[in-house]
Amino acid sequence: MVTEKTETRAFYLIVQDWLAENIARGTLPAGARLTVAGVAQRLSVSRSPAIRAMDNLVAGGVLTPLGRAGYLIGNSRDGAEPGRVPVVNLFSLPVTFSDTDEQLNAPAGWERVLAEVAASVENCIPFGIYRMSESAMCDHFGVSRTVTREVLARLHERGTIAKDRGSHWVAGPLSARMLDEQHELRRLLEPAAILMATPRMDRSVLAAMGERLNLAAAMGPTLPTDVMDALEADLHDTCLAAQPNRRIAVSIAQLQAARIVNRLFATHVVKHDESDLLQEHRLVLGHMGLGDGEGAAAALRYHLEADHDRTRDRLKVLSVFADPAVAPYLSRMF
Amino acid sequence: MPTRTPTPKLRIIGRSELITAPIRKQAQADLGFAIEFEMIDSIESLQRVITRPESFDLYHQWHTVDLMWTARSIQPISLNRLTNGAEILQAVRGRSGPSRIIDTVFDRLFVQGDGRLGSTPSGELSMLPLLHGVDSFVYADALRDLVGDEPESWGWMLDARLQGRVAMINDPVLGMIEAALAVEAQRGAAFADIGNLTLDEVDEVAEALIGRKRLGHFRGFWNSFEESARLMTRGALLGSIFSPGVAQLRSQGAQITVSTPAEGCRGWHADLCLSAACSGEQVDMAYAYLNWWMNGWAGASAARQGYYMTFPARVGGHLAPGEWEYWYEGQPAAHALMDPYGRMAVPAGHVREGGSHRDRMSRARVWNTFMDEHTQVVRRWREFLAA
Repeated sequence: MVTEKTETRAFYLIVQDWLAENIARGTLPAGARLTVAGVAQRLSVSRSPAIRAMDNLVAGGVLTPLGRAGYLIGNSRDGAEPGRVPVVNLFSLPVTFSDTDEQLNAPAGWERVLAEVAASVENCIPFGIYRMSESAMCDHFGVSRTVTREVLARLHERGTIAKDRGSHWVAGPLSARMLDEQHELRRLLEPAAILMATPRMDRSVLAAMGERLNLAAAMGPTLPTDVMDALEADLHDTCLAAQPNRRIAVSIAQLQAARIVNRLFATHVVKHDESDLLQEHRLVLGHMGLGDGEGAAAALRYHLEADHDRTRDRLKVLSVFADPAVAPYLSRMF
Repeated sequence: MPTRTPTPKLRIIGRSELITAPIRKQAQADLGFAIEFEMIDSIESLQRVITRPESFDLYHQWHTVDLMWTARSIQPISLNRLTNGAEILQAVRGRSGPSRIIDTVFDRLFVQGDGRLGSTPSGELSMLPLLHGVDSFVYADALRDLVGDEPESWGWMLDARLQGRVAMINDPVLGMIEAALAVEAQRGAAFADIGNLTLDEVDEVAEALIGRKRLGHFRGFWNSFEESARLMTRGALLGSIFSPGVAQLRSQGAQITVSTPAEGCRGWHADLCLSAACSGEQVDMAYAYLNWWMNGWAGASAARQGYYMTFPARVGGHLAPGEWEYWYEGQPAAHALMDPYGRMAVPAGHVREGGSHRDRMSRARVWNTFMDEHTQVVRRWREFLAA
């Protein structure tokens, strides 16, 4: 599998360019003082890229070091007493980056790697147990051990991977037991969440979701993957997100086994007949639209039970297939 | 010049020991159209049927109808297009006589109002039930020197006294069930549902198998009934086996006994399914083939290697009285009996182990099935074979 490596500029370069640009433009005036902590805080980076950027600007003659007091903008002190030079309030300046400099707003390196690794793992775990190689991940993504360890730690937190007795990271299997256990949690959490979400839900958002269900129903009993994904996200992500308990939100987000199975089944075997699912979704949204939280919770409970039965049947069909092609950092164990 | 339309033909996938050469030949001769039989004895047939329904018209399935139905790779069979539809309904409704002991065959037979499969009769079938039987293991008479007169038990399969002398089936679906029967017998406690082991139970059975294999317990593993018979003539004292393997060993004069273990046997049924993609002329041909099976000739041929037809009344007219009495009624063979290939297979006076159809089928303790944790079954089985 070939994966394009995302071009990432080092943070210190972004900091350095932002400072240089603002100094050149005069928004950071000569004679004003900058502190490492101030710059780091304003740009949401740690101290080391800020120090490295400012030291480079010192070398370029743009800044003058003031020792513990920070840096002076400009290349001479002009006799000023460090203590009396005002510190620029950097929060008065907008942080704008050009299109290619979105990295500071973009997720950190490990987050992007995480998304891809999580997807690769999800695609193979219904087919067995896979060992994950840290060094192959480093090579594949062109990242350091620090990054891969962060990724693995996050996947471990989510319950996606675990360490075997030999202390190797392993993923899977996505077993019937895993589906059952996640289902038991979901039938406790999701109806409770929808009960809390119902009074907080915007009616116009619900109406738009209802419209999407109508369009999907008109498309026929089988639906394209993106349409299905959108419908699932409407009910299980957007609606549930309206409830305020963050711990419940985090717990629900980790219970993705059924979605993985259904997506893989649609990809490898056949598109499902979604007539029942559409009707079940419609019932939940209908109760929410009336502000009937109890009704929505009951309808959601029914939907979860019915979907669990469907998903279990589908997992069994998937289990017949040999393992799919996997990323180079995954290897099948038996 | 007019383009020649290809001659329509019926494409059928099956297993070689179920749809034997004599059956294939007779179907071709009796039906007035071309039939292309494709014999696939591995899991590949199921993968193919599930992912490419357009590549076949009929599939001789065993223990997979629920998977194919979920995958929507088969279409319902109309009861009113079958010549003996009423007979099928009668057997199911009555649940008496021979059909009572093979309830499992009817569990997922009918398409229900909600589109799922169930046992409540309707006008549409998921499959046409054809053949069934029970399997256990076979042992050489020399085994008694090691175990004395102990009652026959699946526990022997993992018994240390038989080290190096046990032959097992290579297939994880059937092998795991037989191994679970052996583990149960050894530990003296039953699994809650031996036909659907939990993840932990699969692991328990796998550990027992791997432990024995590392000690050199197994003589070999077989993929076909020919291989199973060969292993029994080359050093195995005990082996799992299909009844065609038994017929083959008997025709070679081997001194063997088919066990009727205290723990019960492994039941199976094989049926016909119609591809979801089958249409037009091929549908008519497919129903002609289904109805050809219902005339009973093929069931009679299958009986000669030990299989039962799900509607036994259909077979009677095609078996000689001595054959019916031996295979279905469990009586001593009045004279020597032939196998489906015309070879002498049962000596005069022999009594089939386990007795009559009813006696034998009532010992089905567990039926072939894909367990819910099938992935774990396959994974641990591979680990076992590699140990």
